[in-house]
Amino acid sequence: MRIEDISKKSEILLKLKKEDFMPLPHPYEKGDLEPEIRDLTEEQLKKIEASLDGISGVGLKKPETKEEENELIRKFLSGLEKLLSPDDNWTFLMPFYHSLEYCVKCQLCSDYCPIYLSSGKKEIYRPTFRAEILRRITERYVKKKKRLTRLISVGDIELNWQTVARLAELAYRCTLCRRCAKVCPLGVDNGLITHEIRKLFSQEMGIAPRELHELGTIQQLKVGSSTGITSRALSNIIEFMEEDIEEKTGRKIKIPVDKEGAEILLLHNAGEFLSWPENTEAFAILFDIAGIDWTLSSELVGYDAVNYGVWYDDIQLARIATRHAEIAKKLKVKKISLGECGHAHKAMIVIADRILVGDLNIPRESAIPLLRELVLSGKLKLDPRRNNFPVTLHDPCNMVRLMGIVKPQREILRRICPDFREMEPHGVDNYCCGGGSGFAIMQSMNFPDWRNSISGRMKLKQILEVFSDVISPEVKKYVCAPCSNCKGQLRDLFNYFGVNKRCGIFYGGLAELIVNALADLKRPFIDWEWH
Amino acid sequence: METFLALLTYFAYFFIILLYTVKLIKYLRMPVHLRWELYPVIDEGEFEEEKNWIEKPRKKRYLKGFLFLLKDYFTLFDYAKNNFPYWLGIYPWHMGFILIIIFHILCFFGGLSIVKGIGVSYDSEAFIGRFLYLAILLTGVISFLAGIFGSVVVALNRILNRNLRDYASIQNFFTYFFTFVVFFTGFYSWFFTDPHFFEYREFWVGLLTGRFRDVSFWTKIHIIAFDFFLIYLPFTRSLHYITRFFAFFLIRWDDEPNIRGSKLEKRLTEVLKRRISWSAPHVQKGSSWSDVARFIP
Ligand code: SF4
Ligand code: SF4
Repeated sequence: MRIEDISKKSEILLKLKKEDFMPLPHPYEKGDLEPEIRDLTEEQLKKIEASLDGISGVGLKKPETKEEENELIRKFLSGLEKLLSPDDNWTFLMPFYHSLEYCVKCQLCSDYCPIYLSSGKKEIYRPTFRAEILRRITERYVKKKKRLTRLISVGDIELNWQTVARLAELAYRCTLCRRCAKVCPLGVDNGLITHEIRKLFSQEMGIAPRELHELGTIQQLKVGSSTGITSRALSNIIEFMEEDIEEKTGRKIKIPVDKEGAEILLLHNAGEFLSWPENTEAFAILFDIAGIDWTLSSELVGYDAVNYGVWYDDIQLARIATRHAEIAKKLKVKKISLGECGHAHKAMIVIADRILVGDLNIPRESAIPLLRELVLSGKLKLDPRRNNFPVTLHDPCNMVRLMGIVKPQREILRRICPDFREMEPHGVDNYCCGGGSGFAIMQSMNFPDWRNSISGRMKLKQILEVFSDVISPEVKKYVCAPCSNCKGQLRDLFNYFGVNKRCGIFYGGLAELIVNALADLKRPFIDWEWH
Repeated sequence: METFLALLTYFAYFFIILLYTVKLIKYLRMPVHLRWELYPVIDEGEFEEEKNWIEKPRKKRYLKGFLFLLKDYFTLFDYAKNNFPYWLGIYPWHMGFILIIIFHILCFFGGLSIVKGIGVSYDSEAFIGRFLYLAILLTGVISFLAGIFGSVVVALNRILNRNLRDYASIQNFFTYFFTFVVFFTGFYSWFFTDPHFFEYREFWVGLLTGRFRDVSFWTKIHIIAFDFFLIYLPFTRSLHYITRFFAFFLIRWDDEPNIRGSKLEKRLTEVLKRRISWSAPHVQKGSSWSDVARFIP
């Protein structure tokens, strides 16, 4: 496979076969317990573009006429010019320009990319592959370099409909984990190049996976949450949580909502309310015991920390961050604290830092250091023996490599889990769960098969390895993932491979483990119910 | 001929400095960007790990970051650790560059010493004369040898390793060939005609005084090759030597928080006034960034 092949007018560039993928440890070493990636149906193939690898994540419709094809190419090029404009792309111009100009193609980054490795080193998934395509298109169609100069300096490429369509899909074969960027000695960031390609498609062409855009950021801004939860539904959920807390712990807690002047506005990923209410309940229990002055918000957008814009669209990113800050301002809280959601951490605390100016610039921080303070300060009576099962920690890329929150969660786990064990590698060198950059919520067509087989493969390997001495399903094991998206991915990944049944591995958040260790709890807070 | 050689050398230095400066200015004039750092941020601790981190003083240790990068320059440690065969070529090749630049700078100082009446030789009365003689000799010879070896091994790596070959351009191979010529001619002239680099120092005396000196054939060839190489460099990705510093300090380690009333906030307020021309349906084309951010579609 060569770079130029991206423009080939063939049905498919790469046919995925599970025999080619990176081998997994016991009990998956033979490959017979692994499902085959499903092909798209004839009907889907007629309408949807999937000529990259037979997978569709973006759901791009095939153009019907030559004019439609040309229009897409034209728009793609105008978007590419805007990526290089200091007005349209001040947000990332410098890092983008640097990455486009200064890669020396040493390929050091390739062996750091979990997707490239998991796929069995398929060329199209190499971190430099999509970057090189964009580089060549830029040289030819934006800088308008002459053919001979191009041939000598970078190599040539043909921009046709296939190139545009495959590039759109290719932008969703990278989780933006930026492991490749961390190892690059020249500071080149192929993850950023992916991010910018996604942005070009979204901001100029209106093309993005439905789950990220229509059902994601657009729905969040209109309805209040990408989960579809409305303010009304939220109050029912909160009522349910209060009852559930009482039933599980015997504590009567009033969860504060829209409390003006509170110290902390706590933002949870709304997915927690629906899928893992035990996490939001655990926060409520801990904050109540510690006497923290906190509140949730019931305003549209204010009860959903997610900001999918961070993965594909700076404009949507800015809108959601601005909404969050406006809500905090209206409530007159002292600061915003982010619950267990990695991308929301990165979006609101780090990236939006240079969007929120004046009175919208409200202090924002992670809830994890606060949890550490509660655990280490002695405010909570803890009995680590209650967590007497093997526990490992998954590092969400956004929180760790991209934000530097590495120690607090470890200090907590060392204090409350006697059998805490680290995966290798971990911390800033961790591997993505495979659901990063929106993959965890992209559920259409055969994309989830690809995600589970390839992008989550390295994480599965690590988890199986760290528990290899206790792999029997009789021993219950816990993967602590302090991030909603990672949990969503682990749920799907474990279901796909039957990990829970075959190996007895569960997943969950951090706050639940702390509550489970509370000494005066009548029964365990973690119920080991698979969900 | 000596006039041509001198003018070419003046021009080569002028040209590379001018083009590098223009490129660097273009780089540095790009607007402030959103934070996109990667951890560990070497010149700082992970300060967001702290509660109320925004209120705590930040300790930026630029020197630590600078030394980290400098160490990497002289070891290319990442390559040694992750791809040893590649390092085997790239390391001597880069050392060849660094040393040949130091060699020419030293030759300049050697010429200057001579102009000032301090002889440069192994038995010079002045310490500086003896030091310059030895330093010029060592940097010159090591650079030529390392450069020759490096150019050959890097080229072989690019040809034999499929991962590298598929992404290589014709220019890559031209560069390897060109560097080979530069280092080889340097070596040849040293070995066969000028073992003490006497001619180089004299050549620099000529450049400094305006009374240009002629040099032997192979030294001439090397000087011409090196001059053309300087002129050629701005057309390659060679600026990564310098932009790498920017990439680390201005992007990878740039975690400067936006504090209310700070200079950074002022700069951000200005960029947020810039107008957007993106044309997807959810964008209000023509509006400013701050207006678009407040708009709910
Ligand atoms: S991105 Fe960096 S590590 Fe990867 S090929 Fe380019 S220069 Fe090498
Ligand atoms: S960001 Fe992560 S997934 Fe994407 S190319 Fe780099 S290492 Fe691979």
